[in-house]
Amino acid sequence: MKESPFIKVIFRELGRLRRRPRYLIVVTLGIVFSYVFFITLMYDGQPQKLPVAVVDHDASYLSRRLCQELNATQGVKVVAVYDNHMQARKAIQRQDIYAFIEIPEGTYANLLDFKTPHLALYTSNTYLLPGQLSYRSLATICRLASGAVHREILRKQGVDDQAITYAIQPIAIDAHYISNPTANYQPYVLTTVLPGIIGLMAVIFTLYIIGEEQHLSTARHWIKVAQGNIMAALAGKLLPYFLYFSLLTIIGNLILFGPLHYTLQGSFLALSLLSILYIAALQAVAVFIVALVPDMHLSICIGAIYTTLAFTMSGFSFPVTSMPPALQGFSIIFPLRHYYLTYVDIALYDAPFFQGLLHALPLLALCATFFIASLLIYRNYTKTAAMS
Amino acid sequence: MKTAQRLKDVYDVFVIELQRIAADKGVILIFFIATLLYPLIFGAIYKEEAVRRLPIAVVDDSRSDYSRRFTHKLDATPEVDICYCPNTMREAQHLMERRKINGIVYFPPEYATNLAIGRQSNLSLYCDMSSFLYYRSVYSAASATMLDEMETLQRRTYSDKGVAGLDASTKIEPIPFDDVKLFTPSAGFESFLVPALLVMVIHQTLFLGIGILAGTTVEDRRTLEMIPRRLRHKSIYRVSIGRALAYILIYIPVVAVVLFLFPKLFGLPHIGSMGDILLFLLPFMLATIFFCMTTAAFIHHRDSGILTLFFFSIILVFLSGIVWPQEAMPDFWRHFSYIFPSTHGVQGYVRLNSMGAGLRDVRFEYLMLWGLAGFYFITTITLTYLENYRHLKRSELHRRIHLQWTLRQAKK
Repeated sequence: MKESPFIKVIFRELGRLRRRPRYLIVVTLGIVFSYVFFITLMYDGQPQKLPVAVVDHDASYLSRRLCQELNATQGVKVVAVYDNHMQARKAIQRQDIYAFIEIPEGTYANLLDFKTPHLALYTSNTYLLPGQLSYRSLATICRLASGAVHREILRKQGVDDQAITYAIQPIAIDAHYISNPTANYQPYVLTTVLPGIIGLMAVIFTLYIIGEEQHLSTARHWIKVAQGNIMAALAGKLLPYFLYFSLLTIIGNLILFGPLHYTLQGSFLALSLLSILYIAALQAVAVFIVALVPDMHLSICIGAIYTTLAFTMSGFSFPVTSMPPALQGFSIIFPLRHYYLTYVDIALYDAPFFQGLLHALPLLALCATFFIASLLIYRNYTKTAAMS
Repeated sequence: MKTAQRLKDVYDVFVIELQRIAADKGVILIFFIATLLYPLIFGAIYKEEAVRRLPIAVVDDSRSDYSRRFTHKLDATPEVDICYCPNTMREAQHLMERRKINGIVYFPPEYATNLAIGRQSNLSLYCDMSSFLYYRSVYSAASATMLDEMETLQRRTYSDKGVAGLDASTKIEPIPFDDVKLFTPSAGFESFLVPALLVMVIHQTLFLGIGILAGTTVEDRRTLEMIPRRLRHKSIYRVSIGRALAYILIYIPVVAVVLFLFPKLFGLPHIGSMGDILLFLLPFMLATIFFCMTTAAFIHHRDSGILTLFFFSIILVFLSGIVWPQEAMPDFWRHFSYIFPSTHGVQGYVRLNSMGAGLRDVRFEYLMLWGLAGFYFITTITLTYLENYRHLKRSELHRRIHLQWTLRQAKK
């Protein structure tokens, strides 16, 4: 029975893998490490009890009460009470605290005299997330303090409770966080970064195994096994790893949406289909890079630069729509971008199966164009090789 | 004489290392192109600092003066832009699902009636949670509008009672507060993330470059060719110093451009004193270089090195405490992060450069970096020595086998 060249290349590749499984093992360990790292790093979901300080010039009942109220919030805790502004500023520079409240002298006395004392709230946004979270806690407590005083005055005037509520807060916002009710920070990061890391590994690994053939001068044997059919040669070589990395992405998603309970409104099947397309597109890009830059060392360097940019260009942290227009177009060539968009459609908005995968169409296009381009380049390459 | 000889040794290694770098296209790409490309791209990506004019929809079932005023005020915020006013929540939901909008504000029918009879009124806000910045922008726009609208309503209640002006202010907000944003007044994304990324770029390009160089040497089986013959025994430390000097020389212009010129070009915060930053960068560069040389000793193939260690860049960014605060990290990861020069480098540079801290304020990071520099220097020379020793033993063995073989041949 005559086997097709495609099957032969697959068996040849599996044989190579059996002889030198080290890289695949190392890559897998790297991916497992990343999952363990990210899941345990942000286990709390949102930073809590961030350190803040109070600069207390007043030393009164009010300032002590403010400290107690701050400590009672989930977001911050008062780690120090300073006598002057400079000490607190220095503490921020030392990163002992992220924010502080300054209570000027005579605050309580002025309050009792209806003289509107001013508090000052200092935050540093050099560390954006903790800066903003601690600002929010401090501002809430300050507003509540105002409200509490307001309420006391109205009570003493004999106003009833419903009218007091209206007087203090006539409007209330009833906020709904779609598909992430606790505003958990973890799903934002993990659902995109972790597939991104698998993608990074897949690209560099693909570059490596193709480059290796040229590097170890086994490329001739490879093409010979494929009977000169470049399509069979590439497809056979990449298929085992395509299956492997797709499987890893799907298992990764199983962990995220299974035991970790991230919201998945749509079907897991659609998400898995997306993962498969994503890996295929990445491998196509890798083949394209090898085709353009046959030098293995250089192509891996280029692959490294390309895959790191994917994290930023996917727009999960800073939206692509807020980037300069030229870069918005640039984001199309990153499969992670399409993965992110489709993931949002499927998981957060429960888009119908095919509509959800609509955003994944560019991935398919990416696969096709890159494959065709690289096949053309390879054909030229083999032609020149044959001629010489 | 002896000192002169030592210096000459260091100088020889230094020159050899520079030649190796110059001969490697991949390393040149990483040392000179990547270090410039990354900051430029990051600078361009985050140029807008914040998310502005996010499209949202307002569904107004109240159709009243109150809800219209709220809508106008909301539209006036920089963060959001009311693009759609659908008639039903269903339509709005549909828009949201098609990703046309990033938030919905809904006024229930009783919104105005409640306010008119002096009862607290609710309005609903639906936030797109697909990106943290979407959520933050929509939420902060809505709550800022709410605060403003509240004051309008409260003032009207009091003016109905004949209390106005300062009197009313005192009643409505007895303890007002001023909001001061220190160091980065724009509170933006670029001024927060890019300085940290600049340090990471320095760290990671060195890591990759040194790793590649080490891998190539091992692959080509000429570990010792780069070491002058007379240095192959006890004076191995001169080799490490010579090589480190070569990297430092190359990185002087790179650091000058990346850490000093780029912040000025992009208008990032740069209020630090140059002297302090330079003093801080000295142990940072030494620690990073020796750290990379230590790791590189374990790399036996050029490309597997990149393959296995490259994903670590992403992990190092998160370990540095710039994205996820150090306070919120589990103790294990916090201590783990201390062994990487990048953690201290990012923390120190950001505080010196963006917050204008003095060297004394980053004492912990500064001392840790010197400690790491010393530690990794020792590990580097130990590893080089061991490798050298193994190699010598092996060549000694080869020599003996060869000798025996020749003797046997001669006997025959």
